[in-house]
Amino acid sequence: MMIATWYAIVSFMLITYIALDGRNFGAGMLHWFVAKTPEERRQVIAAIGPLWSWHEVWLVAFGGTLLAIFPRLLASAFAGYYLALFLILWCFILRGISIEVGGHINDRLWQGFWDFVFVVSNFLLAILFGAAAGNVARGVPLDAQGNFSMAFFTDFKTCGYVGLLDWYTVSIAIFAMVILAAHGATYLTLKTDGAVNYRSSRLAKYLWMAVVPLFLLISIETFVVRPDLPGHAVYNPFWYLGLLLVAASIVTLISGLSTGRERRAFVGSKLMLVGLLVTGAAAIFPVMLYSTLAPENSLTAYNVAAGVNSFLFACIWWPLGFALTTLYFVFISRRYAGKVSVSRDSQGTY
Amino acid sequence: MDSNLYDPAFWSRLQFAFTIIYHYLFPQLTMGLAGFLVYWKWRALRTGDEKYNRAVRFWAKIFGLNFAVGVVTGIPMEFQFGTNWSEFSKYAGGVIGQTLAMEGMFAFFLESAFIGALIWGEKRLGPRYHLLAAIGVALGSWLSAFLILVTNGFMQHPVGYQIEANGTLGIASLSAYLLNPWALIQFAHNQMAALVTGAFVVTAVGAFYALRGIHSTQAGLYLRTGTFVGLVASLLVAFPTGDQQAKMVGRHQPVTLAAMEGKFTGGPMAGVAVIGQPNIGARRLENPIEVPGALSFLAYGTFQSYVRGLDEFPEDQWPDNIELLYYSFHLMITLGTLFIMLMMVANFQRWRGRLQSSTWLLWVLMLAFPFPYIANTLGWMTAELGRQPWLIYGLFHTRDGFSKVVSNGDTIFTLIGFTGLYFVLGLLFLYLTGREIAHGPDGEVVPGAGEEVIA
Ligand code: HDD
Ligand code: HEM
Ligand code: HEM
Repeated sequence: MMIATWYAIVSFMLITYIALDGRNFGAGMLHWFVAKTPEERRQVIAAIGPLWSWHEVWLVAFGGTLLAIFPRLLASAFAGYYLALFLILWCFILRGISIEVGGHINDRLWQGFWDFVFVVSNFLLAILFGAAAGNVARGVPLDAQGNFSMAFFTDFKTCGYVGLLDWYTVSIAIFAMVILAAHGATYLTLKTDGAVNYRSSRLAKYLWMAVVPLFLLISIETFVVRPDLPGHAVYNPFWYLGLLLVAASIVTLISGLSTGRERRAFVGSKLMLVGLLVTGAAAIFPVMLYSTLAPENSLTAYNVAAGVNSFLFACIWWPLGFALTTLYFVFISRRYAGKVSVSRDSQGTY
Repeated sequence: MDSNLYDPAFWSRLQFAFTIIYHYLFPQLTMGLAGFLVYWKWRALRTGDEKYNRAVRFWAKIFGLNFAVGVVTGIPMEFQFGTNWSEFSKYAGGVIGQTLAMEGMFAFFLESAFIGALIWGEKRLGPRYHLLAAIGVALGSWLSAFLILVTNGFMQHPVGYQIEANGTLGIASLSAYLLNPWALIQFAHNQMAALVTGAFVVTAVGAFYALRGIHSTQAGLYLRTGTFVGLVASLLVAFPTGDQQAKMVGRHQPVTLAAMEGKFTGGPMAGVAVIGQPNIGARRLENPIEVPGALSFLAYGTFQSYVRGLDEFPEDQWPDNIELLYYSFHLMITLGTLFIMLMMVANFQRWRGRLQSSTWLLWVLMLAFPFPYIANTLGWMTAELGRQPWLIYGLFHTRDGFSKVVSNGDTIFTLIGFTGLYFVLGLLFLYLTGREIAHGPDGEVVPGAGEEVIA
């Protein structure tokens, strides 16, 4: 019970992270396509603006909590995904820096260069996170000690000594890229005005249309790769919650997009991401990392958990920390609500 | 030595050392400057004098740049516990994960929620809330340091833990863990050291403007606040906090103390070497000049106390790089003493009203700012080298802690990657900070005009 609760909490933190930072990945990927002039580009950056580090902290807090609660999982996964994780890290560094320094100097070349870094790092982040999600769903070559190390690619098959990339994880990565781009476009529609708003709202519609067939495709693929998953999922109430969220999000999203109600569309888009992730997290529980070599090597929430006391102590401080975080969240959402606008005479950094 | 190059622990250690030393260059200024920002903002509110607000605006920009680099270099640190030190994480994650997670939940959320408001929110928030934002950021950064130091303190002096059924570590008492006496002293010492860095940087910028004869009101303010805080913090770094640190090491890691001091043989009336080079092969300190009895006194409170030498410990418990440890420790102390002397002279001149006119002193103050960075780094090297060969003192060896599944080639590759990336990052940071300083506090556009951008 305790372990299942903490599984839910840890998943919640990761899902919150993706729901918050996912829009930045998306907006970042579309940066070049929706914003043509330097002013418009500053507008997109300002929409991401001063909150990117706040969003990234969700990932940091997730990592720390995972270490405290499921140390063996973190240790095994991080060491196993070694190179992929460092690529993610470097993209984070480049993205953060491009946001912060891009606007510091009012010069075409300077801004052009950082815009380039910004777009590329966001594309890579979306793809890498997608591939990582694909790896969690497919499984990794865990040995009997619960360790693995993985090459970028091997024979592109989904069982045995798999690599980071194969036909399945690549298709999940593409799906992640498209849905995050769609989410980002919806977000930019909400936060901007003028030409950027117009282009984003059009792109959002096309991208969401592309999400539908891709989603059907990866659902079928997942069924082929992990035929055992649906069997678990139907006993998990959270799985139904996830489905419910997805259903609600479809209605909200469609009505938001078709009537041009930007806030409603964005809420729908966010719900969609959250719903899909909840469904996924519920479907794999209690296996946190599946072994493609032998199912009994898999790491489950039960065999990676820390001692009981670690759970008890975390139960003391986590709710407190979460309450505070909610307070900041209210502060932030009030303060940064509404559209951004860029006036050239301003001294703002973004 | 050359066998090191085939040792995976070596590369993971090198990468961790490089990235943490680099990371820590930024938080020390963040934490130091945060204090100044709160103080100036508070003065502005009390006196209504615009010069304080101007100082806050100027330093907040530098703070922002520094903060951003601190954030992006901090995240790799967190990741490396899993990627490079996975055996250590498996073993101790149930304990150290608690504070790392609390750092995210309590400190980083606080900091990053208010940082935007501090840098761009002056106009919209009004002075009171702007002060509140400054306090929030300062509190967040100091809290973050506290939780990190609890983690490190546990590794130096493990308390409040128990061994679980599966052989890993778990928490036995959260309060014992969080109130680890080692961590408390380390926190006090380390935070004073961060204030030293902040004070030296503020003073150096003041001296730079004063020497060029520009921004004279601001230059005066930076020099005044900077030298005052600099003196107080330098004194506190040495006494009582540095002194207590040494006592702590003597009590819980006697072999480390012997190595830090290059004491190969034990005895009463142990001296502190002012000069001398350790020669490990010959087991002695060459051409030493010692203050007799000083070490006995510092470590145990009387001149007669017996200080144990390295010869009294099995060699496999010696720190594995005694030379570097010895020099790190001694140079830190030397620099600490010089900081106190320099700041005393500066405060004396200030008291006589001659600070802004003594050119030689301004030159020294301007050029002195890198040295607190060096001292902070040396301090950490002392702490971390002294802990060897243990990762968690007395419980877990460093050579057992690294990830077995990661190949040397992978670690070398990522180390090279960090070197390149951090080099560019460093250039960028210096260039942009230099630009802000050259631009200066007076030459700026109306405060809070950036508001429109994020409104
Ligand atoms: C939270 C824990 C923590 C903190 C706050 C620090 N370190 Fe550390 N350090 C470690 C946790 C650690 C570690 C993970 O435990 C390492 C990796 C290998 C080892 O022996 O300890 C380490 C190694 C390590 C080494 C290599 C020593 C060796 O293995 O020979 C150096 C030079 C430093 N650190 C320097 C620093 C500096 C300059 C810090 C200032 C910010 C610092 N450390 C803070
Ligand atoms: C003495 C040691 C350390 C101190 C005092 C310290 C302090 C700080 C501070 C004040 C920040 C805020 C941002 C800034 O730098 O301005 C920060 C950022 C960060 N530090 Fe460190 N740090 C230390 C070492 C470490 C270590 C060992 C880790 C790895 C676990 C780490 C992880 C991080 C992370 C993840 C961030 C970014 C958080 C954010 O997004 O705000 N730090 N650190
Ligand atoms: C002159 C008096 C000083 C004394 C007696 C002193 C003492 C010590 C001792 C004994 C340690 C090692 C603790 C350990 O092994 O964990 C230490 C660490 C350290 N020192 Fe100092 N120190 C002095 C000056 C300074 C100065 C001037 C700075 C920087 C401005 C500084 C920064 C540090 C830092 C950052 C550490 C590592 C953190 C820690 O473990 O506390 N120290 N100091």
